[in-house]
Amino acid sequence: MVKFLRDINLKNKTALITGATKGIGRSTAIAMHQVGASIIAIGRNTKDLLSLKKRLKNRIKCIECDVNDYEKISKIIKNLNRIDVLVNNAGTNLPEPFLKVKKSSLETLLNTNTKAAFNIAKLCTDKMLKLKNRKKFGGSIIHTSSMFGLVAGPNRTVYSMTKFGLEGLTKGMAVDLAKSNIRVNSVCPTFVATPRAKKYLANKDFNKYALSNIPLGRIATESDVATAITYLASDAASMITGTNIIIDGGWTAK
Amino acid sequence: MFKKIDLKNKTALVTGAGKGLGKACAIALAEAGAKVIIISRTLSDLIKVEKLIKKTKGSCLKFECDITDIDKFKIILKKIKRLDILVNNAGNNRPEHFTQVKKENMEYLVELNMKAAFNVAQMCSQKMVELKSRKKVGGSIINMSSQLGRVGAPIRSVYNMTKFGVEGLTRGMALELGKYNIRVNSMCPTFVETPMVKNFFKNKKFKQQVLENIPLGRVAQENDVSTAVAFLAADSSSSITGTSFMVDGGWTAK
Repeated sequence: MVKFLRDINLKNKTALITGATKGIGRSTAIAMHQVGASIIAIGRNTKDLLSLKKRLKNRIKCIECDVNDYEKISKIIKNLNRIDVLVNNAGTNLPEPFLKVKKSSLETLLNTNTKAAFNIAKLCTDKMLKLKNRKKFGGSIIHTSSMFGLVAGPNRTVYSMTKFGLEGLTKGMAVDLAKSNIRVNSVCPTFVATPRAKKYLANKDFNKYALSNIPLGRIATESDVATAITYLASDAASMITGTNIIIDGGWTAK
Repeated sequence: MFKKIDLKNKTALVTGAGKGLGKACAIALAEAGAKVIIISRTLSDLIKVEKLIKKTKGSCLKFECDITDIDKFKIILKKIKRLDILVNNAGNNRPEHFTQVKKENMEYLVELNMKAAFNVAQMCSQKMVELKSRKKVGGSIINMSSQLGRVGAPIRSVYNMTKFGVEGLTRGMALELGKYNIRVNSMCPTFVETPMVKNFFKNKKFKQQVLENIPLGRVAQENDVSTAVAFLAADSSSSITGTSFMVDGGWTAK
């Protein structure tokens, strides 16, 4: 009998996750491991990678690499056996008012959030297409975008520029890769209880600004985002491509 | 952590549950552990769906009701102890060229897809809010929309009007019900292999046009949609509200 509720699992799938040392990336590695994926975790911080490895009882491959190091990341990806899922997650933010944005901040964000994200998406897609039965097996790419990929917020011109860009990349890639049965989507969270957001939210005014803009009255958890990413990665989402899952407690519905 | 789709101890009401997507959603919610209340105009259909739900060892209550009959629907709700989930699914389509749309068809679709959908949503929300611990337990409403709630299509002006309306209703409801922890989202599928669509596809030219517009090159299956509805119904999506969940194979990404 046909199951009307599909099982969300990643058995026999290999997932590469960038920015896996902290926050959403780390939680996604844990969630995907839980539902059976083989994980390749990429991050800059050795100590954090070791802690993740320990958490998952060594059943995970960790590789230390800065996603901005094109030579290194391309070598790493080329040397892998296979990739079925990419969680293109590494990203950063340097909030500044538009008139005060430093040239160096602009370049940092464009390098990491846009160029490195594009390069890794392309390198991983090349790898995915190496599998002969890709069309039958399918593939899934998830970009970590943001609600600021859909709407603006104060001091976030550069961040919004890069995340709106990711939304465009998602749709363009989805259209180009559909014939190979590789699906491409993004997740757009509101503020999530990550180490980075916790720093912002420690500021009372900022906390008030954030919570008063979320109709559900709470920020998202790392698990909320990791679960949505895991769903998109799995065959349970096999008709979902070129779209975003917005995990924002209603922020952008206003 | 991955948050599994689990609807134990939840009661869900599904309208238009006799056939197609409504039937698929009702069974999927039962497979996830929910008690399901199924509503349809056609008793013989309800009896068949009830049998399928019992096969999943799920529990089910059935009520024959045309949802445009508010008074009858109100009486049904009085017989129900509690409600945690609504799949506001009943709807119809009468494709006609804009200049040829018959007044009676326009009125029928507005009555059913908008007015009845609104009334059902309002009455069910009132029921949901009655539970004292609602804020803690949470609630979820899924309005059945369509990809044609986001983009236009030939001979679908009335359908477009009603489904864009459902998108607006979803956002408005999400803002107002956020404080009760009731989440409201819409489901936007592309063409799904339902009895209604199979009928449209007897026209070969139409079928070809549809497939050319879906980058993934295939129509959705009922369980693509019912799985996504179960995800939105469950606490797996506890920070997702006021959004449109696209299951369209990339149709709207273009």
